[in-house]
Amino acid sequence: MTTSTPMPERVEVTVTVNGRKHRRQVEPRMHLADFLRHELGLTGTHIGCEQGVCGNCTVLVNGQAVKSCLIFAPQADGQRVTTVESLGEEEELHPLQQAFKDAHALQCGYCTPGFLMAAVAIAGEGRNPSREELREELSGVICRCTGYENIVTAVRRYLDEREEVEALGG
Amino acid sequence: MAEVVETTRTDPREGRIGSSISRKEDDRLLRGEGRFADDVDPGHCLHMAVGRCPFPHARILSIDVSEAVALDGVEDALVGADVVRRSDPISVLRPVADAPDLDFYAMATDVAVFEGHPVVSVAASSRHVAEDAIGLIEIDYEPLPHVFDVESAMDPRSPVLHPDVLKSNLLVRRLTGAGDPEARLAEADAVVEDRFSVNRVSALPMETRAIVAEWQPGARELTVRHSTQVPHLVRKQLAESLRLEDGAVRVIASDVGGGFGLKLGIYPEDVLASLHAMRTRRPVKWIEDRIEFFRASTQGRESVHKVRIGARADGQITGMFDAYAVDCGGYNSAMGSPQLTSHMFTGPYRVNDAGTEHSVILTNKSPVGAYRGYGQPESCFVRELLIDRLARRLDRDRVELRAQNMVRPEDMPWQSTSGATYDSGDYEACLRMAAQAIGYDDHVKQSRGPRADGRYVGVGLASFVERTGYGSSKFLAKRGSRFGAHESVTLRANRSGGVDVYNGVSTFGVGSETSFAQIVAEVIGIDFDAVRVHLGDTGASPLNTGGFASRTLIASAGALRRAGEELRDKILRIGAFMLDAGPEDAMISGGVVCLRQDPNACVSLAEVHDRAIINQGMPPGEEPGLEASAQFEPEGAAYGYGTAAALVSVDPETGDFDVERFVVVHDCGTPVNPVLIDGQVLGGLAQGYGQ
Repeated sequence: MTTSTPMPERVEVTVTVNGRKHRRQVEPRMHLADFLRHELGLTGTHIGCEQGVCGNCTVLVNGQAVKSCLIFAPQADGQRVTTVESLGEEEELHPLQQAFKDAHALQCGYCTPGFLMAAVAIAGEGRNPSREELREELSGVICRCTGYENIVTAVRRYLDEREEVEALGG
Repeated sequence: MAEVVETTRTDPREGRIGSSISRKEDDRLLRGEGRFADDVDPGHCLHMAVGRCPFPHARILSIDVSEAVALDGVEDALVGADVVRRSDPISVLRPVADAPDLDFYAMATDVAVFEGHPVVSVAASSRHVAEDAIGLIEIDYEPLPHVFDVESAMDPRSPVLHPDVLKSNLLVRRLTGAGDPEARLAEADAVVEDRFSVNRVSALPMETRAIVAEWQPGARELTVRHSTQVPHLVRKQLAESLRLEDGAVRVIASDVGGGFGLKLGIYPEDVLASLHAMRTRRPVKWIEDRIEFFRASTQGRESVHKVRIGARADGQITGMFDAYAVDCGGYNSAMGSPQLTSHMFTGPYRVNDAGTEHSVILTNKSPVGAYRGYGQPESCFVRELLIDRLARRLDRDRVELRAQNMVRPEDMPWQSTSGATYDSGDYEACLRMAAQAIGYDDHVKQSRGPRADGRYVGVGLASFVERTGYGSSKFLAKRGSRFGAHESVTLRANRSGGVDVYNGVSTFGVGSETSFAQIVAEVIGIDFDAVRVHLGDTGASPLNTGGFASRTLIASAGALRRAGEELRDKILRIGAFMLDAGPEDAMISGGVVCLRQDPNACVSLAEVHDRAIINQGMPPGEEPGLEASAQFEPEGAAYGYGTAAALVSVDPETGDFDVERFVVVHDCGTPVNPVLIDGQVLGGLAQGYGQ
């Protein structure tokens, strides 16, 4: 090496992703989205802007929706991260995914994991916002194909069904 | 005799043409298991970063990459001189007729003509290292005066972007039309005219551009994973620019995160990543970041229109003219600047004297390219605004004035002054349905004052005819196009009793895997689930044109039908032979071939297909195999049409406005999957709001 490198030292991070603990040595400047995609091979989390605007990389960190391009992997050390890969079973889609499918709430599908995780966060808080409130809450994720109508419909249906199931003691 | 395999479907029309069956694409995308270009990390992959000119116009005096290439992890660097030596300029797939070629090399050499123009690139062990290396490159620029809009670009005192090819910044100017619009406008009882500036927009797909280029030195073949709507055109253009034979390039586009016209053909970075891969003999990945996207991906629409519409006192439109100038940016992009304004300017109206003057003007901005409508929404916008003003001038109702001038069903086929042949439709019916749905009559009866909540309310109307798909290659040939008008498919029966479909368009959101399967299920009679659609791999699909101009289904449906009929007939011949019957007595139903008179007498498709594949127990004279390829070229473009109506309220104090209701009435022909069509309309509408 003839030039002084700006490449920083690697640091160790341990992150629990979808219930499984992963330990990696990473550059401190690696953001969580890149960590998930390129260190762990969880490519369902998509990157659309790397500046916290498009929300396509939304994941849950300790149950809260977070834009994973806005935090560095070392900041996720010791945290619980949940990604789109956690949803659904081998043979069956998660009810939220099924609601998206039924409502034609995706076209190219690139932003979809971001919307799913944002909706999972809302459901996880046990809330059921109105259609208008939901529009506001989902506005952190950008879609260019669908015009959002069907996305809002899908999330509303899922939250309603969930509420019914809970009311029935399900 | 095989076990009877019944379809599991209760509705026999499910999954056929007209069925809103849910999409084949959805499950993998919902699980985050799509395969976008950046989802693949080949072994030993290098990553490219691009250094870009920070000025809109600058002379490059010197570039020193020595520090960058000395950085640990950096494997290769390219500057403009290397690129010019090793590659040819990017070809324009749809040049404006009579426009000279501007040599758009993948990198600026002496002069960069737009902010973001590539001037250097590096391949390194990671994107971080590659960007570190770009930061270590010393570039000495001499900023030059620049032009940033079409009007200042035509000022004789303005700098000329390409003085070696052109005397001014006018790339080309073309007149089109028929009749004598100037005479009609001169004698008109009323003329409305104005100058309109249509702003520049970005198509902004959520997945940026992306390429992973792998060079196999032994075979001397290049395989690229690419985020594109047109894999076969990317293959052609890459081969041209890299001086390779077509056969040495394979392009794979699996899932593509949106296109909207932006991903038609190659960009400089595709050539650069490929050159790095060929030089280093390692895979090279480049994923455009969003800042690069805004600096160097094509943009859309920007133009200035000077429009005149003339009419008689009775409301009959007699003459129309649009002199418009398109801001091309610094170079022609792969698809080139929008052209359909000239073709569709007269819209749904019967006018015999109309024309356009189309100028393409170079400015120091990133190149424009195709974006939804490719010039048509611009012409619709300027025309419909002036039609409203004409109604006001003549004291006529806006709906009635439009209806009076619309091409009527009995006029069709109608040839417009630009040569467009409107095949069919009832334009007035759509207009009246839209007016009714938005409550137009009630609205015009109301007072012009504010509503109870203090807001003013207005209803807007716009009627359109939209050219979709491309007509024959004859149409394209007259315009110097370097692609064809047909689509091609291969259908291949498999031993599981299903049919594989191969086509060269990619999956970028419009649901082609689903609609193709619906057509194949309809034509052959097999189950929707038994059709598997493989898209976007030039190594596995017949040569085709690609997915743009709403042409995918228009052109592919014809090819699917032809190939499907050929396959169906052969399946029936073999199946009937196995049932000791003639093919006319047999039918395909779900997973079996059975006799029309006795559906219990049947053989499974798996068995029929297997016979053909291994060529055992075939009818005499039958060729082995069960596969069909077909092409289809539409004779003409398809002209979609309709009317949009909006109810808009405005706060007179603040100017805050709200689109309270929006109605679209359109006729899109035979719907293959109505829910997917509604999805396209909703999505297109949201993008339209963004304009």
